[in-house]
Amino acid sequence: MKPAPFSYIRVATVEEAANALSEYTDAKLLAGGQSLIPLMNYRLSKPTVLIDLCGIEAFASVSLKDDVFTIRAGITHQSLHEHPLVRAYAPVLAECAGEVGHWAIRNRGTLGGSLAHADPASELPAAMVALDARFVLTSVRGERTVTARDFYLGLFTTDLAEDEILTRIHFFASSANRIHFAEIARRPGDFALSGAFVRVEESATEITWFGVSDMPYHLTLDALPVEEKARQALFTSLASTLEPLDQTVYRRKLAAVVAERAYLKGRRVQA
Amino acid sequence: MSDALHHLQKNALKPKYTGARVTRKEDARLLTGASRYLDDIEIPGMYEIAFVRSQRSAARICAIHLDAAQATPGVKRILTAKECPCFFGSAEDVANGVVQPALARDVVRYVGEPIVAIIAETRYAAEDAVERVQIDYEPLQPVLAMRESLLDQPRRVHEKTPNRMFHSEYQTSGFEDAFQAAPHHLVEVFQTHRQTGVPLETRGLAATIDPGSGRLTIYATHQSPHGLRGDMAVALGIEENELRVIVPEVGGAFGIKAHAYPEYLVVAYAALKYKLPVKWISDRTECLLTDVHARDDIHEVEVAFEGNGRILAIRDHLRADAGAYSAFPFCGAIGETVLASRVLTGPYTIPHLATTIDCTYSNKTPLGAYRGVWGPIASFVQEGIVDRVARALHLDPVEVRRVNMIPDELFPYTNAAGQAYDRGSYRASLEKALEMLNYDELRAQQKTLRDHGKYIGIGISAFVEPTAMAQSEAGSVPYESATIRIEPNGSVTAAFGLGPSGQGHETTMAQLIADELGVDLKDIVVLHGDTDSAPFGGGTGGSRSGPIGGGAALKAGRAMKEKLQTLASHLLEAAKEDVQLEDGKAFVAGVPTRNFSIRELAQVAYTDVLRLPEDFPVGLEVVARYQPKRPVTFSNGTHIAVVEVDAQTGMIEVLDYVVVNDCGRLINPLIVEGQIQGGVAQGLGSAYLEELRYDDQGQVTTTTLADYLLPVATEVPRMRIAHLETPSSGEGGFKGMGEGSLIASPAAFANAVSDALEPFAFMVSALPVTPDQILAAIDRSRDSMA
Amino acid sequence: MKTIQATQSITLNINGQTHSLDVEPRFLLSDVLRHKLGLTGTHVGCEHGVCGACTVLVDGKPERSCLVFAIQAEGSSVETIEGLSADGMTRLQRAFQEHHALQCGFCTPAFLLTATALLKQTKDPTEQDIREAISGNICRCTGYQFIVDAILAAAKGEEA
Ligand SMILES: Cc1cc2nc3c(=O)[nH]c(=O)nc-3n(C[C@H](O)[C@H](O)[C@H](O)COP(=O)(O)OP(=O)(O)OC[C@H]3O[C@@H](n4cnc5c(N)ncnc54)[C@H](O)[C@@H]3O)c2cc1C
Ligand code: FES
Ligand code: FES
Repeated sequence: MKPAPFSYIRVATVEEAANALSEYTDAKLLAGGQSLIPLMNYRLSKPTVLIDLCGIEAFASVSLKDDVFTIRAGITHQSLHEHPLVRAYAPVLAECAGEVGHWAIRNRGTLGGSLAHADPASELPAAMVALDARFVLTSVRGERTVTARDFYLGLFTTDLAEDEILTRIHFFASSANRIHFAEIARRPGDFALSGAFVRVEESATEITWFGVSDMPYHLTLDALPVEEKARQALFTSLASTLEPLDQTVYRRKLAAVVAERAYLKGRRVQA
Repeated sequence: MSDALHHLQKNALKPKYTGARVTRKEDARLLTGASRYLDDIEIPGMYEIAFVRSQRSAARICAIHLDAAQATPGVKRILTAKECPCFFGSAEDVANGVVQPALARDVVRYVGEPIVAIIAETRYAAEDAVERVQIDYEPLQPVLAMRESLLDQPRRVHEKTPNRMFHSEYQTSGFEDAFQAAPHHLVEVFQTHRQTGVPLETRGLAATIDPGSGRLTIYATHQSPHGLRGDMAVALGIEENELRVIVPEVGGAFGIKAHAYPEYLVVAYAALKYKLPVKWISDRTECLLTDVHARDDIHEVEVAFEGNGRILAIRDHLRADAGAYSAFPFCGAIGETVLASRVLTGPYTIPHLATTIDCTYSNKTPLGAYRGVWGPIASFVQEGIVDRVARALHLDPVEVRRVNMIPDELFPYTNAAGQAYDRGSYRASLEKALEMLNYDELRAQQKTLRDHGKYIGIGISAFVEPTAMAQSEAGSVPYESATIRIEPNGSVTAAFGLGPSGQGHETTMAQLIADELGVDLKDIVVLHGDTDSAPFGGGTGGSRSGPIGGGAALKAGRAMKEKLQTLASHLLEAAKEDVQLEDGKAFVAGVPTRNFSIRELAQVAYTDVLRLPEDFPVGLEVVARYQPKRPVTFSNGTHIAVVEVDAQTGMIEVLDYVVVNDCGRLINPLIVEGQIQGGVAQGLGSAYLEELRYDDQGQVTTTTLADYLLPVATEVPRMRIAHLETPSSGEGGFKGMGEGSLIASPAAFANAVSDALEPFAFMVSALPVTPDQILAAIDRSRDSMA
Repeated sequence: MKTIQATQSITLNINGQTHSLDVEPRFLLSDVLRHKLGLTGTHVGCEHGVCGACTVLVDGKPERSCLVFAIQAEGSSVETIEGLSADGMTRLQRAFQEHHALQCGFCTPAFLLTATALLKQTKDPTEQDIREAISGNICRCTGYQFIVDAILAAAKGEEA
């Protein structure tokens, strides 16, 4: 299992990366490589040019100003998991980043890579959808901003154009409040069989499911029934409309369970 | 007797190393990364091989296009069946008129079957060329289901041979009457799905012509150096002495490395034909596709029993899917079924047994050995039966076990299949395990927790482990050999024909020899893994190295001791019986100052030879062989698993795990416990995680370790282990124990899950049991109650 | 920006030593360590990130050397089992021997490196901390219990 040949370019700035990406056809961005390199080792992906983003300066910064989080795409899952600002003001993001793969994977895999790769069972794309984050996409043509909810189009498919780089992520710290997360995986570190971010407000509820559809599945509801049976029945009926890629019955069942668990976690924390 | 002498003899009876928790001699090199596994061996100018493999489970090969591959930079040679006409013929296949080609010729019969070998400067270049080979296939309908295959449906895997490649029947006399007369009956179909050993080091082979001797030298990661040499020599058409097999450090084996594979023939043949050093190291996907698979069995069982739980008779139709060929040299399908049929009654006095066995070919990977082979399947069936009887009669599963357990006074006991069990601690191990668990209290807790919607299950597995068999997957010979040489400086070199892969034989064999010779462990070197230096032996497999290899170590140790005593008695002018060996010295009992060190004795034996007694051969070398009198020695024990099933998700969590193990006299409890813990982890995988799945076209869909799930540290529970020691009648009193933990544990986990799900009237009948199946069963039960 | 070539010269810092060598960009760090630099204590068990056998420390953190191209490791300091053992066995290695935390040894270097990094950042880990930290490393032989025991003992400073 060895990758096919390619040419390698290391860039020091986003501009260099954008230039290289527009210059070479069949080029691919390399971030942490934790999704791309396995695919290349299997020769399921054979880019002729790799543009390595790892050398971009300060590509892993996190800042919080006036309630707006700005996170640059190169931050690793582990740094996201450990970052004091994220822990303090977007704890659900820190928590779910810690569920991505194993320690050694998290030490290298990046937020941008995970968001761009768009694995339907990934935690972080769903987290961004739940947070209603904005992605900044950069190319030689300039920058544009797209909401996470518009970014995901389907299985491993996003709105990212061939020449674009996902460079920054913005979301409101206040929106991270009241979002809680639960997932079920076969073994810790595995991709989730089903996971959910649930946000409970007085008058409204949002659920973002992952692992149970071809992409993060977001929906907004009225306030949830307080009574357990009714609430679970609601989750079950909502989950029954999901279209998982396999194990349909089972994943739908789990979807209802993770939604309830995320909800209960929220109630515990908020109590 | 003087006090001093008395003291000495008492001490002499208590060995210093045997039975002690000695840390391993192997560890220093392994811990520092200094050891050399197969892929660490560099021969100057070595080429690498990559294979083009069948992507079809059944097809005719119409054309192979190699031009683009030939033109790939770095490519040296390309072989197809035309260039490499070798084949393996296992006894079972040959009996059916079938042989397995090294490279598929006209037809492919399973996904992953090698078709073309590319020899290139690097593995990278070889894989570049692999991509460029194009093969035209004409698809054939794959044979995938055992029941259909038995009827030659939809077709024959080998045109001229019926798919049923093995059949046998057995019945105790009076079976039918006993079966009919019983007041209670139950039926069940047990199934185990394909799994494989997955040693962390993948398999492979390197081959080169030794410029000095002109012999072919192969480096193999294998369990049986001599066995492999014999098999390869035959298949390559060369004499055994023209081939040297070197087995470097082996990174786990678990049965899959007891086999010889088609790729090995290609690598060795290429080295011979082109006079090139070449190597092939399997990648993980090649392993999951083509390492022998295991455990593909169906048992259709009928059981007759009495109202008190006493089981009277078992009828079992056993089936196994052999795959496209009989794995070489050991057919897993036949091994799993025939041997399972002999231990189906486990540790119980079940008087009647009737078995029918059918093994069939299919368009799947050949079935071969994985640790425990038949044992995990037989235990799963046998312990599943016991728990079903208990449930049918509303009895505690422990009670049913007590009623049926072979009582101590019946040993040696011959079971319904004619297997002779040696004395063990059958009852005692069960009672001890229950005590460790605080069984009665736990049962009470279970009830309370159930009322709160928490589903705890207790799964018992009392097992027998046939070990040290005269014949098994590694070890076509019923004995092992040991040579001991005392070097001119007095240090000890011992050599064995064993093929360890982590079991620590360099330590355990040295422990035994050190105690015989009264020398320090650090003064002994144990060699293995080179047919040039190792005496002929069967190798490691079937839990034979401890009891048979250990027996050889003891015999050789005693022979060397005797030599040293003879020599020392001559030099000390004392009676031979009075010469004792301790602390690296030979001395006259009671007068430790009258002594010769082993070093001094060696000096005499090699250099100062005029001082040797008459008739004493120059030098200090012995060879000994040990062939146990019993064809098989039975270890035994009891495992109990406590699990919690999450009724919302179907996930299980192991809460506690207790093992009582009796493998006769212990050589090294630390190593025994390591074997147990590793086996239980594999048992958890077998019961709950690991499955090689095929789709309806015969494609394996679990080709990565993200699909074939292995137990990790967060899954495997902490285990509590106790030892009982019922010595065997063999040399040293040792019994084997390499497989018992994996034989017992899948049944323990399965029974624990069944027990937890008793409120839902569910019992595990197929392994692995997956969370979605568990949840589906819970739902079915809830629906039927609603 | 670097220009495109078939092979490139790189300089790697491995175990505190500098190595200059030519590599194809596609060469995995695991292959370069093993087959170009002879550091065969780093093992390869899957080449898709799951087994953990290839784990090395990159700037002190455990990473998969099968999921990093050697060319990417320029500018980082890489530590392998050979580096860990440069001054004889560490307390952790001795604890592994004492507790029989290895059988075939194929997984062992990676466990040692992962645990070394863990103990550097968490002085007094619980059993659960340890199990989580090593959950990305597969051992097929030991069942993990003695590995956990060894790491616990090393953390407590217990000497054999
Ligand atoms: C054993 C294992 C277990 C794992 N478990 C999980 C898990 O449980 N949950 C989970 O979510 N993930 C898991 N992963 C995947 C891991 O999270 C990856 O890190 C992540 O999916 C990709 O991030 P990366 O930085 O490694 O991206 P890369 O692999 O470098 O790139 C992935 C893709 O994104 C593109 N890309 C990268 N960066 C950018 C960018 N800034 N802009 C545009 N495109 C970009 C690349 O071109 C490529 O197509 C696992 C991986 C492994 C090997
Ligand atoms: S070889 Fe790198 S994780 Fe398995
Ligand atoms: S000791 Fe063999 S894989 Fe861990």
